[in-house]
Amino acid sequence: MLRLSLLAAVSLMSGPCLGAEWPDLSGQTITIAGPYIGPDEEHFRAVLAPFAEATGAVVDYAGSQQFSQQIVIDTSSGSAPNVAIFPLPGLAATLAGEGKLAPLGDETETWLRDNYAAGQSWVDLGSYEGPDHVRRLYGFTYKTDLKSLVWYVPDEFADAGYAVPETFEDLQALTEKIVADGGTPWCIGIGSGAATGWPATDWVEDLLLRLESPDVYDQWVSHKIPFNDPRIVAAIELFGWFAKDNAKVAGGTNAVGTTDFSLSPQGLFTVPPQCYLHHQASFISSFFPENVVLGEDADFFYFPSYAGKELGKPVLGAGTLFAITNDSPGARALIDYLKTPQAHEIWMALGGFLTPHKGASLDAYPNDTLREQGQILLNATTFRFDGSDLMPGAVGAGSFWTGMVDFASGRSAEEVATSIEESWKALP
Amino acid sequence: MTAVVQQVGTTVARVRTGWRTKAKPGQLLTHLSLLILVLIWTAPTAGLLISSFRSKDQLAVSGWWTALAVAVTQEGTRLPTADSSIAETGLFVIRGRLPGTDMGTKIRSYGLNARDLTAAAPGESLSMQDGGSITVEADGSFEWSADRPFTHTRGPRLFYVVERSPRFTIDNYIEVLTTSGLGRSFINSFAVTIPATFIPILVAAFAAYALAWMRFPFRNLIVVTVIGLLVVPLQMSLIPLLSLYNDIAHAFGAADGKTYLGVWLAHTAFGLPLAIYLLRNYMLGLPREIMEAARIDGASHFQIFTKIVLPLSFPALASFLIFQFLWVWNDLLVAMVFLGNQETKLVLTGKLASLLGTRGNNWEVLTAGAFVTIVVPLTVFFALQRYFVRGLLAGSVK
Repeated sequence: MLRLSLLAAVSLMSGPCLGAEWPDLSGQTITIAGPYIGPDEEHFRAVLAPFAEATGAVVDYAGSQQFSQQIVIDTSSGSAPNVAIFPLPGLAATLAGEGKLAPLGDETETWLRDNYAAGQSWVDLGSYEGPDHVRRLYGFTYKTDLKSLVWYVPDEFADAGYAVPETFEDLQALTEKIVADGGTPWCIGIGSGAATGWPATDWVEDLLLRLESPDVYDQWVSHKIPFNDPRIVAAIELFGWFAKDNAKVAGGTNAVGTTDFSLSPQGLFTVPPQCYLHHQASFISSFFPENVVLGEDADFFYFPSYAGKELGKPVLGAGTLFAITNDSPGARALIDYLKTPQAHEIWMALGGFLTPHKGASLDAYPNDTLREQGQILLNATTFRFDGSDLMPGAVGAGSFWTGMVDFASGRSAEEVATSIEESWKALP
Repeated sequence: MTAVVQQVGTTVARVRTGWRTKAKPGQLLTHLSLLILVLIWTAPTAGLLISSFRSKDQLAVSGWWTALAVAVTQEGTRLPTADSSIAETGLFVIRGRLPGTDMGTKIRSYGLNARDLTAAAPGESLSMQDGGSITVEADGSFEWSADRPFTHTRGPRLFYVVERSPRFTIDNYIEVLTTSGLGRSFINSFAVTIPATFIPILVAAFAAYALAWMRFPFRNLIVVTVIGLLVVPLQMSLIPLLSLYNDIAHAFGAADGKTYLGVWLAHTAFGLPLAIYLLRNYMLGLPREIMEAARIDGASHFQIFTKIVLPLSFPALASFLIFQFLWVWNDLLVAMVFLGNQETKLVLTGKLASLLGTRGNNWEVLTAGAFVTIVVPLTVFFALQRYFVRGLLAGSVK
């Protein structure tokens, strides 16, 4: 009920805010296809409402769980929507290469660089080679997730006398101290149906950004260095330091591969706690038990970086990309609308949404937890995207996932990295 | 179960003494293995049904097979802040009830630290860090009293071991049934399913009669081609077929080719090979004499088909009707590709999938959703099931 009235309040508030400079699109229909369903879909519709009102256009959004499959079918058979929202940059890059996406233009590129925090990295994320092998901006990031977070229960920390670690060395020391105290430090679950393994890829990416410079990360993601480079193997082995030690993981190493990522954080909240720490992206809070109050019963800290390495504070993230799959004035107007602070603030107020838009007010976030996460995004010195999303689908959403499952169930980092490298080399 | 085992035992004994009774061990064994098979087959559905009556938090911590057991769980809660205290004759008191406790629950013990749950038994008191002392009763009510006013702004935590009799909830069903647009997607599903079931039956019945009883060149070749089409995976044809629809739509000036007619035709095409094969084999098994008698009486092929073959083929028609209805009703892929996901056109399966949430975080509604969608296919099945087995055997037993 509260959410409903909030929705109404927000759409009322921001309705008249959009000026008269919007083109008159009455009688036109803008079709959008995307992966937002359930509550996300409701929130997205609230974002679209003022746009539809200002332009007079009919905005027709269709959300689907199988978006990734469906957009391929729709674009290849000529019934593409005007705008598509890609959850994976890799898929957008493939379609851009086939000429199925329309470039967003230099103006949007400059806008992104100036108005998004760490703007260049957002431009890079949305730029792909077109059919003519020229790199252009195709994707506009809207709605981001923050990945470099460790979730914990402040009360349990206080009861046990643990402090939030500031450096990676501290985090490792804390892990060992919890084991020495007879507790279990981590809850790690990498199960996710057909996508089992992805939470472990986030671990490895986050660890690589802490072990090596962002350049190494970029070279790894773009396959300029092989997957079984010793530095990558070292990152996988560091993940093994956490995950392949029965004393450090709730349920032991065997539970890593068999626990679903959505159920994994439950261990933080059992009595007594099964674990103290959980590494997962910002969205995981929607999987916490219903009575957990964010900021009070559960909180997060930044997955710290090594004090001994001068690598700054790298932040790993992901996001959804808006791309034009069927060009029309309405589609262009929609992308322009996404540049307004209102388009961000409406969803910020509804929760479950983070943005690097510098013009959007942090006050719009409904709670401190989200506000702090938003702050991390705005302050990021090094921002890198989920590497597995950037790699070719057969690796990033294939052999990398399965490789991490193999690693969790006993194979060595070296072996796993080599087999992933072979699968990557075998790609045309 | 023990009775069955005993019976088997006595039967075996009787058999040893020389076939004196009528009970056959083979028959008993068949019944026993059937019973086990039925149990195995119904277990997942039963589990789903039980799960649909459990809350999300229960589903997350324990399996459905524990649903009927008295659950002893360890839980924690945060006590109220100073705001909710009341002054009472020189004492300051905070009263309340631990969450999830009522007549059916019993507190076994409690404590102020997650590692020390047995610090106090119900009725005993513990002194609090924020002042005063707390007493929790077995029924879950607590009283925290102090002689000085409370000042804490953050409630301390309290942990307890609670014994709980089985609990069930209909919240999942309420959530599914009150979703906006559910009624519409029910109607959409019917609008897709009913024509997509009857069109292929109509076409296939004519085709099957022709292939079974009419003489024309290449008849067998056509039959073999139709059977060959059974192995074509429908996924292969999604893109070409949708392109064709779009081309036709554009030629007539329409925006896109995603229409109800398109879905009906797609389902018809995907259903026809099996329908023709099934019905042809059944019709081939009908007695030739009836047909010949009708010919001698001067009946045309059309008259033979409508007056004789069609009524006689009813079991086969009904069994295919069940098949096709179930397949179309449960289909998500074809409807998504040829109809789209717009809210106005979303079918029931699509609606349920969208309830899940972007990251699948509302998966508890799927359990209830499954039983809401199953109602219609079950009705169809029970209405026609007496033809089902007869129809399935059709053509195979000759």
